Amino acid sequence: MRAIPTLKISISGVRGVIGDSLTPTLLTRFAQAFGTYVGSGSIVIGRDPRTSGEMVKQAVIAGLLSSGCRVLDVGMCPVPTIQLMVRSRNAQGGLAITASHNPPEWNALKFIGGDGTFLGPGIAREMLDIYHQGEYAKVSGENMRQVEMVDGAIDQHIRAILDVLGPLPQKQRRLRVVLDACNGAGSIVGPKLLRALGADVITINDQPNGEFPRPAEPTPENLSALCATVKEHRADIGFAQDMDADRLAIVSEFGEPIGEDYTLVLATQYVLSKQPGPIVANLSTTSALDFVAQLSGSPLHRTRIGEANVTECMQREHAVIGGEGNGGVIYPRINFARDSLVGMALVLHMLADRGQSLSEILGELPRLVMIKEKLACPSNKIPEVLKMVRRVYANSPFDLRDGVKVLLPNGWLHVRGSNTEPIIRLSAEAGTEPEVRALRDSVFDLMRQLIGTNE
Amino acid sequence: MKPLKIGITGVRGVVGEAFTPELAVGFAQAFGTYLDGGRIVVCRDTRPSGPMVHAAVCSGLLAAGCEVIDLAICPTTSMQLATKQFHADGGIAITAGHNPSKWNALKFVRSDGLYLNATQAEELLDIFHQGEFLKTTWDKIKTTISTADSIGPHIETLKSAFDVETIRSRKLTVAVDCCNGSCALLIPRWLEVLGCNVLAVNDDITAPFPHLPEPMPRTMAQLRAVVKAGHADIGFAHDADGERLGIVTEKGSPLSEELTLPIAALIRLEQRIGPIVTNISTATRVDRVAKRYGASVIRVPVGQAFISEAIVEHEAVLGGEGSGGVAVPEVHPTHDSAAAIGLILERLSRAEQSISQLVEELPRVTMLKYNVEVEPNRLYSVLQKFRVLVESENLEHELIDGIKVLFDDGWVHVRASNTESIIRVIAEAEEPDRTQGLIDWARDRLQR
Repeated sequence: MRAIPTLKISISGVRGVIGDSLTPTLLTRFAQAFGTYVGSGSIVIGRDPRTSGEMVKQAVIAGLLSSGCRVLDVGMCPVPTIQLMVRSRNAQGGLAITASHNPPEWNALKFIGGDGTFLGPGIAREMLDIYHQGEYAKVSGENMRQVEMVDGAIDQHIRAILDVLGPLPQKQRRLRVVLDACNGAGSIVGPKLLRALGADVITINDQPNGEFPRPAEPTPENLSALCATVKEHRADIGFAQDMDADRLAIVSEFGEPIGEDYTLVLATQYVLSKQPGPIVANLSTTSALDFVAQLSGSPLHRTRIGEANVTECMQREHAVIGGEGNGGVIYPRINFARDSLVGMALVLHMLADRGQSLSEILGELPRLVMIKEKLACPSNKIPEVLKMVRRVYANSPFDLRDGVKVLLPNGWLHVRGSNTEPIIRLSAEAGTEPEVRALRDSVFDLMRQLIGTNE
Repeated sequence: MKPLKIGITGVRGVVGEAFTPELAVGFAQAFGTYLDGGRIVVCRDTRPSGPMVHAAVCSGLLAAGCEVIDLAICPTTSMQLATKQFHADGGIAITAGHNPSKWNALKFVRSDGLYLNATQAEELLDIFHQGEFLKTTWDKIKTTISTADSIGPHIETLKSAFDVETIRSRKLTVAVDCCNGSCALLIPRWLEVLGCNVLAVNDDITAPFPHLPEPMPRTMAQLRAVVKAGHADIGFAHDADGERLGIVTEKGSPLSEELTLPIAALIRLEQRIGPIVTNISTATRVDRVAKRYGASVIRVPVGQAFISEAIVEHEAVLGGEGSGGVAVPEVHPTHDSAAAIGLILERLSRAEQSISQLVEELPRVTMLKYNVEVEPNRLYSVLQKFRVLVESENLEHELIDGIKVLFDDGWVHVRASNTESIIRVIAEAEEPDRTQGLIDWARDRLQR
């Protein structure tokens, strides 16, 4: 099998490996294409703490200035902070330098529109066309605009959260929170926000130095340090962020990961308790969300995977909350972005409001079991894999908006190619462990054979 | 065709046309590859495209595995001295020197703070053209380090090279026009160290160039006015990066930039006799000065790298060009207007003689320049045709850099510019009419 390319150019942005595919020339061209697309306005840029961040940022600045943009550099900060700043500075767009949960050798550019949301598929495609055509706006050397270093973006973000949600009501004792920031961009903001909310904070992995103390994805197997710290300090809750602080995972007071999907479920239940209204989630998000929606009689809309797809639908449906099952909570009253900081504030308010422990609250929700798998897969093999899944479940209803989602009486099975990596993802959900295993096993070995991995 | 010059003096072009971020990134990667990673010092001048080119250069260097020491805005010589101070492996100056605002350029410096010589520059170009650059991985990639004061070490070096106490005791009044270039950070500060009463104009590094950053009499109107109004002892005009120096006398008369080097040579040879290095197209006035002291003049092709190398090789006491660039080896063997200022002010402080009286001591000659615009791709063939004509007329000539035709009473030198799409014609004779005649003679043959 030929080598799987390390460069991924898609509507989600451009992503690649430092020292390999992600070269400064490629990056500066992408920045020029974006500058050309937005028509030379102000662009907010920021980055996560990856070691390659400075190189990528400089290439981006050069490209944006060359195409006539003014650059507002907010420095190292979470992606949702960049998105918030795009709106608060009335910028024409934003550019986030982060490969979120990818390993440290990766980096990426994500493109943000003037409304602070990621470019939707249509717009992103137009931008890609400009990139590929290679004819970029060029401003004369005499009229080039400059870079403004913007201080205080993080404080502004915290203020925006407190303005809407306020500090925690101090009915009883203060909540004790452990935060695992993965040495990511959240290291700078998370502890500050939690203290401002009025919680006691214990932090681990809070040095944004470009070293990954654990794999960046806040999935249960990566959270053992957090779980141990929660138990050790008898904390009420543990929070885990990824590198760019858009995703949030939660650990219960017993030191057990509750599953990434339940972050959105909890946040949604809290928001709906104050303000019922439409909800938006992607196709791979847990069905527990349907339960929460039905409780308050709110409609739930499903979309393709990808933050841009979710936010687009949220705008259309005037959703009160939305997000993705990977721990991405979008609460439009504060920020039209997946925002782990907003997620933390919502869940803490829920705990304080209800005066219940996290486990007690979870006990009132259906506890579904989900399995997520991924396989390295060249993109040309993806259609065959999808066809196979449809053959296996020929008699069941499908949702074909993003790969194949098979809807079954006891759960569902979803197989699709990733937008961000050369892999194919499988997720399945059912009421019990054996049921969900059976769903996975029904196609997983066939997938492996088709792709022909040498494992 | 768009103006872009890639050659042994670096890469130079108009931003918004051929000088793109990709080009700057590519050259920085090539330079990082040429030096096999290492530590690189970077500076820029004040033109508006500086931040763009600077970002592109930093990105390319980091991607090639270099550590970047960022001096931000400072004169090129300050960066060259910092290269030695930081034990760096090389440096990049982002400046188009005397070119108009829309231009920018990259100039490459080695670990000893001198420009790459012709062989080294050709090697760098080969790497650039081949396009295969070092790529560092995430666990080895380095970052950019900013320095707090990129000018301070330069000032210290200058202080050790001149008699600061004597100059301070004279309390000279000095007018300066920094052209809002990087000199604005160095020259007023240096003059204050020298105890001068400083009358500075155009010393705002955030403002655009008020006039062409080329210190010639036609750009000195404002400086002349300041000298007269402030009763200054002398006025100094600068380019964008502190390499070329122009002079206005205490009477408010602008001196041709061709006179800066002969004045410096006169002062230098009074102190110490030794070789003087200049290029082939610089006026012979400096030869006449040297002859007076029995010193030799070493002629090299046009380009600072040649001058610097010859200064070191021949242990010269001074180097420079007719463009106003003067190199004082005790400071650094490259053009440095701050060093030239030190030399001149030291002389004005020692002897009770004004700058215009000093000029009176210079031998007389007339020099004229003329530029012929040529399509960039025809530069070589036009020169070649001219050479054939000269040879067919059996005239005495030299082929060091272009063609220099020697007549009994003067000379005319025809060469392609390293930086623009023009052929430069320079002629010299004692009388103005004869000099014009030589220019016309050459122009006639170039345009045939």
